Amino acid sequence: MSNTESSDSLITTDVETGSDEHAVAPDRTAVAARDLNVYYGDEQAIDDVSMEIPENRVTALIGPSGCGKSTFLRCINRMNDMIDICRVEGDVEFGGKNVYDADVDPVALRRKIGMVFQKPNPFPKSIRDNVAYGLKIQGFDGDVDARVKESLKGAALWDEVKDQLDSSGLELSGGQQQRLCIARAIAPDPEVILMDEPTSALDPVAASKIEDLIDDLAEEYTVIIVTHNMQQAARISDRTAVFLTGGRLVEYDDTTKIFEDPEEQRVEDYITGKFG
Amino acid sequence: MATDTDTGTASAEGFGEVSRVRGIIFEYLSLGASVLGIFALAVLLVYVTIDAFDLTNASPEWLLTYFLTLVVPFLAFCLYSANDRELTRRAAGVLGGGLVAVAVVFTAIEAFVTQIPRLSWQLAYLFVVVFPLTGYVTYVGSSGRVGGVGFGLVGRLIGGTAIGLALAVLFLVFDARLWFLAYTLGIVPALASYAYGRFRERPGASTAAVPVGIVGVLVAVFLRPVIDTYPTTAFIYLWTLAIPIAAAGALVVGARGSRTEAIAAGGVPLALATVVGLFGGILGLGVGGPNALLVIAVAGVPTAVYLQRVFDAGDGVIGLGLPVLLVVGALVGALVVEAFGFPAPDPWIDGSFITEAPSRTPADAGLYPAIVGSVIIIAMVAVLSFLLGVGTSVFLEEYTANSGIVGALTRLLQINIANLAAIPSVVYGLLGLGLFANLLGLGYGTAVTVSLTLSLLILPITIISAQEAIRSVPDDLRRGSDAMGATRWQTTKNVVLPEAFPGILTGTILALGRAIGETAPLIMVGAATTVFSAPNSLFDKYSAMPMQIYAWAGFPQADFRYGVVAAGVITLLIILVGMNGTAILLRNRAERGT
Ligand SMILES: Nc1ncnc2c1ncn2[C@@H]1O[C@H](COP(=O)(O)OP(=O)(O)O)[C@@H](O)[C@H]1O
Ligand SMILES: [Mg+2]
Repeated sequence: MSNTESSDSLITTDVETGSDEHAVAPDRTAVAARDLNVYYGDEQAIDDVSMEIPENRVTALIGPSGCGKSTFLRCINRMNDMIDICRVEGDVEFGGKNVYDADVDPVALRRKIGMVFQKPNPFPKSIRDNVAYGLKIQGFDGDVDARVKESLKGAALWDEVKDQLDSSGLELSGGQQQRLCIARAIAPDPEVILMDEPTSALDPVAASKIEDLIDDLAEEYTVIIVTHNMQQAARISDRTAVFLTGGRLVEYDDTTKIFEDPEEQRVEDYITGKFG
Repeated sequence: MATDTDTGTASAEGFGEVSRVRGIIFEYLSLGASVLGIFALAVLLVYVTIDAFDLTNASPEWLLTYFLTLVVPFLAFCLYSANDRELTRRAAGVLGGGLVAVAVVFTAIEAFVTQIPRLSWQLAYLFVVVFPLTGYVTYVGSSGRVGGVGFGLVGRLIGGTAIGLALAVLFLVFDARLWFLAYTLGIVPALASYAYGRFRERPGASTAAVPVGIVGVLVAVFLRPVIDTYPTTAFIYLWTLAIPIAAAGALVVGARGSRTEAIAAGGVPLALATVVGLFGGILGLGVGGPNALLVIAVAGVPTAVYLQRVFDAGDGVIGLGLPVLLVVGALVGALVVEAFGFPAPDPWIDGSFITEAPSRTPADAGLYPAIVGSVIIIAMVAVLSFLLGVGTSVFLEEYTANSGIVGALTRLLQINIANLAAIPSVVYGLLGLGLFANLLGLGYGTAVTVSLTLSLLILPITIISAQEAIRSVPDDLRRGSDAMGATRWQTTKNVVLPEAFPGILTGTILALGRAIGETAPLIMVGAATTVFSAPNSLFDKYSAMPMQIYAWAGFPQADFRYGVVAAGVITLLIILVGMNGTAILLRNRAERGT
């Protein structure tokens, strides 16, 4: 049914290799923002942000509420298009191609970028159908069951649900639901996975399972994760970007550097909890 | 609830008091008003029932006989299923105590206050105590395992029969031969192509199914006048309906049971339908012909599938005895009444009322053509308003922007739809008369004109309730689907519509309930009050149940105005309740499915 909407026309990824701005990050760039400004009506949510996000690494976006982290994330897969009043200026490059170019189909773009939301949002369908959703809409004609199994394993959920693939995804616990959403996101084999505070609605045990999982995911995918939780960012990410009020990117560096020896006083204050 | 917050002055000893007088007054006034409304309706229904079944002429012996052979065993069945000692004790208490109480109060009122027309204390007992108690016990009993099985079986038998009959009615006007060609040339190849693609992993073949089907149907339309020998109607029903239904039943059973069970679940009802339908006349079974075939297949297959499931689960199997209990009870009752010669009522509503045409003598009057008209009209209205309503609401909710010129236009449209819902039905009648009957020349009072008019009439309600259902689908789910790279249409089809479906169904059914009882727009577009034979094309002159009832209410003979009208009203209500009940079941199932 969805053959007509196939996605293989978008872009190839391996275009650009590391930039000289960040000597400590010799990796290839997966996503790059250039002079990005985002407005909701007259209100500015992202203020002139430029950054390069390395491939196969975990990049954390941290900062106080309302500083534009989610907005930034939504620019990458153009989910901001769904918000009528949202206006984006500047470039977001994904594999060297500006996703805001006129010839980019946002639907095709999103098939290469998975997304996991704050609140687990499995579909009211069976576990199998949840994971196979992306395959179904993309008209995947390989072995769906094998893919479902592989993805559930990738999301560290297979052992818990292998006997109940046909029961509803809503019957799972919150943490399992979130891992189901991760399985759903990785099933179509995207290149980047965006996560918007994926553990903030979960209890600590469930959250730590997801944290472990994120580590593994970075072997295959580029993970960009928004988090409120400083320890979490420190534990799981390779690179950390600190946004502060007004949508400004204040500091962006290796995670160890940010947490041990930040350049900016404001960042240190924020990390040590003096404000934010 | 209204609660008042008038604070009194706090005294030194305590916290003082907060006056709730206004809240309490409000509470009791609303309670009183609703009780009064329901009471009035109940009284009306009681009298309508009494008239329709001629219960004034039922002798106490007659009532007692059926009470003992039908009501008591049924109550016992429900109580057994509920398996609740306390409930059984209370039910017995209510039955016994109620008898005394009603008898005393009734006699007292008759003696000291006023004569109560057309009611005896036995009837009063029936309506005030027995029916409500039976309703309650049924409700409780049906949630038990045994009761659930019993009612599930009875429901499938009755529902299947009703659907089978409704299909037979539809084939009075829809061309069975065209359906035969379209099914053979369009639907079968399309299904085959789809299945081939699915099971042989050839997506191409699945995609080809729709075009193959469309071409086949077009060819069928073209060939219909060209070909002039056709199989008999019974054979057409067998090939196009009974066999696929049996196959579907077998597939359902096959998915969870053994191969033999699957073949039995599909094969036994199919064989029965074939024997009775094709050879019933020859074998002298008393029943036969295409309609019998249809009913047996449509009611039999789901029943067989259900039986397999119950036996498989092995729980509450004894509940399957419920239909037997009821049939035996009715037969024994009839025998006893016959043997002792108890004076029995002569109900206005009986077999011939349902199956015969209107007449000038009340005793011969029948509702058949009007029932057929209503069924056909409702079927068309259901399809039209569902498609239009869902289409429009999906468009308004999922596709139009909220801002800019499009947003403003949408809001304008929205306000207009809300206002359209408030326009009197006569005005829609006028619209139907002008647009469909006159301008488009679809004819006065034809099924097409009437259905289009009624669809238009309920469209605003369908749209608004469907919108409500669509809006209640959490945005999270849409975002989740969008972020997977689904197109708007894929999100709508895969996520939004399945979630909204139960709500959409509820709204549509409520609206249909309104359409089935409408008279004013029917009068406006020239529907007949009385037709003497069932229509056999969509462009015949139609009548509908409310029209016929309205006509009878104006006849000079009292028997028409009381008995026949009451019988018509009861028929209408039964069909309506049946329709709503089916819809509620479907909806509950859909809700459970998700
Ligand atoms: N859909 C929206 N409409 C209008 N303003 C929004 C919307 N989403 C976010 N904003 C505004 O943009 C700013 C950044 O929000 P967000 O990206 O959600 O921040 P964060 O995720 O860092 O908490 C906030 O001031 C917020 O009010
Ligand atoms: Mg956020």
